[in-house]
Amino acid sequence: MRNLRNFQPAADACAKLRIEIGSDFAGLAIQNENTPDVSWHQAAGNRNDKYKKINVRFGKGIAGRVISTGRPMSVVHFPNDILGKALDYPIMLAENLQSAYAVPLVFNQVQRGVLLVGNRQEHIFTEEAKEAVARTAAELQELIDRFYRGEADGEA
Amino acid sequence: MVMPVSEISSYIIHTQEEEIKRIALELHEGVGQNLYSLFTGLQFIEGGIENPVMKSALKDMTAVLAKTIQEVRLLSVELHPPALSAFGLFAATKSYIKLYTNTFGIEVELITIGKERLVSEKENIVLFRVFQEALANIAKHADTSCATVTFRWEETFLAIEIADEGVGFDSNEENSRNNLGLAVMKERMHLAGGTFTIQSQREQGTYIKLTLPLR
Ligand SMILES: Nc1ncnc2c1ncn2[C@@H]1O[C@H](COP(=O)(O)OP(=O)(O)O)[C@@H](O)[C@H]1O
Ligand SMILES: [Mg+2]
Repeated sequence: MRNLRNFQPAADACAKLRIEIGSDFAGLAIQNENTPDVSWHQAAGNRNDKYKKINVRFGKGIAGRVISTGRPMSVVHFPNDILGKALDYPIMLAENLQSAYAVPLVFNQVQRGVLLVGNRQEHIFTEEAKEAVARTAAELQELIDRFYRGEADGEA
Repeated sequence: MVMPVSEISSYIIHTQEEEIKRIALELHEGVGQNLYSLFTGLQFIEGGIENPVMKSALKDMTAVLAKTIQEVRLLSVELHPPALSAFGLFAATKSYIKLYTNTFGIEVELITIGKERLVSEKENIVLFRVFQEALANIAKHADTSCATVTFRWEETFLAIEIADEGVGFDSNEENSRNNLGLAVMKERMHLAGGTFTIQSQREQGTYIKLTLPLR
């Protein structure tokens, strides 16, 4: 099982990033193993537990699009500056976010994830904030890679 | 010959729904089935290939195809729920709620009172679309983690209540420019011979009631 819901180092990394850049929310989504869907495994600054139940369709919303394109994505003023319908952005709706910045992660060279930070107001993330997100993403990538490898070796 | 506006609206909505249904069916039965044949064909070929580079390329192709088949199926269900024609309104509602919780993380309690009765396909689709828009509004605006949907099957009519305890809004404040979704819900219910009422207050949640006479 590639479940990172109880993987404390990932939770800590999200919490630390959120404080570092002063955002309202930070979350980690991972592509499911057997379906093309994506689900949220960790969140910091969340106002409810809806993220745990959300399954994002491949290619849809922020997480889905970041995973399918492999490129970062920003939203400055949700839902006024988005592609598609507001309903395609469940995490923005669930956490009442108006702005977000998200970057892709890759584990074991194939399985993908998304690290997202968001604010509950209109906001443009600065270059410094984006760099901090990239650093945390690299850190998470390594942590999670190691976690998966440990699992494969039967250590975890 | 002059037709009343309401009859024309009914006709437009009905033909549009028929068209959506046709596209959904064509996607599911036609395009979907063909893609599935390709998928099994590729799997068969992959089994017979020795060259590892070719084998891995084919594997990637089958994976993309599997994703596409899933997308087409979901798109078809999104356009027109197959359960609606096959198993009726309650079954379609139930399966939609499951998808809704999986999409938005909002739990919906479904209550049914009385015995399910036969509703025509035309009326089924009206009720289903209005119900879908009510749930969409909860996901978009209510900022809540749960909602309740009640089906009440009476002798002469069906009532569907959709309630949430979210942030609510002032439903008395006429702001028709921004309330197109609500206006369409109301119009659809009226054209079908039913009623639509909404009550909402800030911080008090929102309550919607639909009724439709049963024959
Ligand atoms: N369940 C609800 N909870 C809170 N507010 C709601 C709800 N349903 C509707 N509203 C409010 O009523 C407005 C009008 O809804 P609607 O006509 O469907 O338009 P739209 O969904 O496109 O904004 C919404 O913008 C929202 O402010
Ligand atoms: Mg609406």
